[in-house]
Amino acid sequence: MRNRVREQRTQRGLSQAEVAAALGVSRQTVISIEGGRYLPSLPLAFAVARFFDMTVDKMSDPVGEEAGT
Amino acid sequence: MMKFIRPRLRKPVGIALAGTAYAAAWVVHGGNGWVLAIVAEVGVIALAIATYVWGGRDSDEDALAGSRPDERQQLIAQRSWALAGKVTMFAAFAGVTIAVAARAGWWWPFAVIFAVTGFGYLLGLSTYGVGEESPADDANDGHQLRSPVSH
Repeated sequence: MRNRVREQRTQRGLSQAEVAAALGVSRQTVISIEGGRYLPSLPLAFAVARFFDMTVDKMSDPVGEEAGT
Repeated sequence: MMKFIRPRLRKPVGIALAGTAYAAAWVVHGGNGWVLAIVAEVGVIALAIATYVWGGRDSDEDALAGSRPDERQQLIAQRSWALAGKVTMFAAFAGVTIAVAARAGWWWPFAVIFAVTGFGYLLGLSTYGVGEESPADDANDGHQLRSPVSH
């Protein structure tokens, strides 16, 4: 499932390590989420969305279309 | 008890305790067992120190060694243990089968491992599956509900 984590992170000029520290997860987990290889739990998905001041459905794209379309 | 120990120290302490118990078994064994006990203790202390060092590094394996995994790393550990259990059960089954075919007397350790692993699986089903057996909250106690559109 695609998501907009990388896009939002780079827009804010944050590193993966900074996002990981803010969310309380490892840098590897942020990398996996950005790459769509790991689907976060619901609490973590909400935490990610809150961190970027967005909603979960705006952060993710369940049908695999291009993010933001 | 482990909860009172700093996360990074938990696995090294566990390894050291288990290794010391194994070394003590060689001392109790008697004879020249004390030599093997010293070798085992030195080896296990080296492993415990290495685990502590790994626990401070930045990778999935090191996060597990340092007892500080996040949810994805916990999932990796669970999947790895599940795979270990499957491999153990398969190996034990193969051991029993080969021992029976060879008419060997060493079939029973494989049978014990097979049984214990199987019991662990059933224990997991009963532990983690409990609470999912409840009837649906719209159950009608067996009474036939009339459809609002039926005549």
